[in-house]
Amino acid sequence: MKDSINPLSPLDTRAIPCTINGNDVSLHVPPAKRLLHVLRDDLAMTGTKRSCDIGRCGACMVMVDGAAVNSCLTMAYQCSGKSITTIEGVSAGGMDPIQRAFLEEGGFQCGYCTPGMIISVKALLDHNADPSPLEIEEALSGNICRCTGYGGIKRAVQRAIEWRKEGYESGND
Amino acid sequence: MAANAQGVAEAPFVWHPSNTAEAWQLKQTFGAEGVFTAGGTLLRTQWESGLAAMPTHLINVGAIEELHRLGMDGESQTGHIGTMITLSEIRTSPLIHKNFPLLTEAARNIAAPSIRNLATIGGNVLSMVGDSIPALLLYDPVLHWHDGSNGLEEPLSEWLSTAAVHAAWKERLLIAVELAKPTLDTNTKRFVAYHKVGRRDAFTPSVITAAISLQLDPDHRLSDVRIALGGGQTIPSRLEAVEAFLTGKPADKKAITQVYGMILESFEPKGDAFVPVSYRKKAAANLIASELWKASR
Repeated sequence: MKDSINPLSPLDTRAIPCTINGNDVSLHVPPAKRLLHVLRDDLAMTGTKRSCDIGRCGACMVMVDGAAVNSCLTMAYQCSGKSITTIEGVSAGGMDPIQRAFLEEGGFQCGYCTPGMIISVKALLDHNADPSPLEIEEALSGNICRCTGYGGIKRAVQRAIEWRKEGYESGND
Repeated sequence: MAANAQGVAEAPFVWHPSNTAEAWQLKQTFGAEGVFTAGGTLLRTQWESGLAAMPTHLINVGAIEELHRLGMDGESQTGHIGTMITLSEIRTSPLIHKNFPLLTEAARNIAAPSIRNLATIGGNVLSMVGDSIPALLLYDPVLHWHDGSNGLEEPLSEWLSTAAVHAAWKERLLIAVELAKPTLDTNTKRFVAYHKVGRRDAFTPSVITAAISLQLDPDHRLSDVRIALGGGQTIPSRLEAVEAFLTGKPADKKAITQVYGMILESFEPKGDAFVPVSYRKKAAANLIASELWKASR
């Protein structure tokens, strides 16, 4: 019962080891702190956006071990030993084809939801290179856009699928 | 954005028991100050909305290997779904899809993939109103608890009937949900359907959640009829009187009309400021009637 005897304490924080965008980090934060706040406030990675705080809008989407999750619902201790990818990580090697597709197809207006959208699309396409329209809709069902409308976003996803099939590489910009 | 703009205090101790006995012991130690947590998605929304205070101690059961078991006993044809199995795992599991297809469909309709990647079947069941429950209820579900002694088994329907008023279950740890695969009688075909009616079908509390499973013989007579309804804050339940009424009958216009009336009469959903009881009753009756009509064709 070693972990139970010495719990992660909010007062005397032990490091929570994880990987963020490929870099090994030790998070010295309260264990139940939301990943969203860890990223934005402690690590100054503000590409991940804050909005609803209850997992409804998708603006705060990140990938944990390759799967999309809402960082507002994820607590720091749940990241222990995990690999986290944020929007900053997606573009670390240059513009990702998904990002390029959103630009070219008009998949955004104000852009606030876009980082979350990009993450959800990347999580989808990394697991399923050729999703059906229904699968795309399901994958994006947790991402709300309130100004673009979804037509441009759907076109962007289709374009990204085509580019990835053609071997478009990051940094072609 | 939630009302408390800076968010709730994020200062509980987080414990990581490695087995069910440790977890249970921690809960006994902390009492109401300690809360079991798995995916934590529902808890977080309750903390944010002020429905529950963040506890002093979180007992994270994620590290307990036993709770992650998903399997099928070929001999007894029972499925075992550990409480830590995520809704995404259920959504994509070939084993679940093959043996309990309504549960696959239910998982597809709960929240969005990003939440399903965190949220667990245990959390969905223990919410008492989760949209997996109407599907589960059609597979004779049994809850397996750790209660500090030899374990406790309890039909899900029994637990649902008292969980809202008797809180003793909060002292126990849910280990798994066991499901029985329905057998198919010779010379019959099975019909199943699951529906979630809501303003945004994958994302808001549903107006009505319905699951139905039945057998039809070559004369279109019904047998092994199972129907469950829930939705919103309604605790799901089987419609046993309707099931008994339909058994042995053909799903013809007369029977469907009577079932429609029975549901309007007997189903007792909870209403709210957006969707009144009368609307929910009518939606439920329409859904079941339309599925019976489809089954009869």
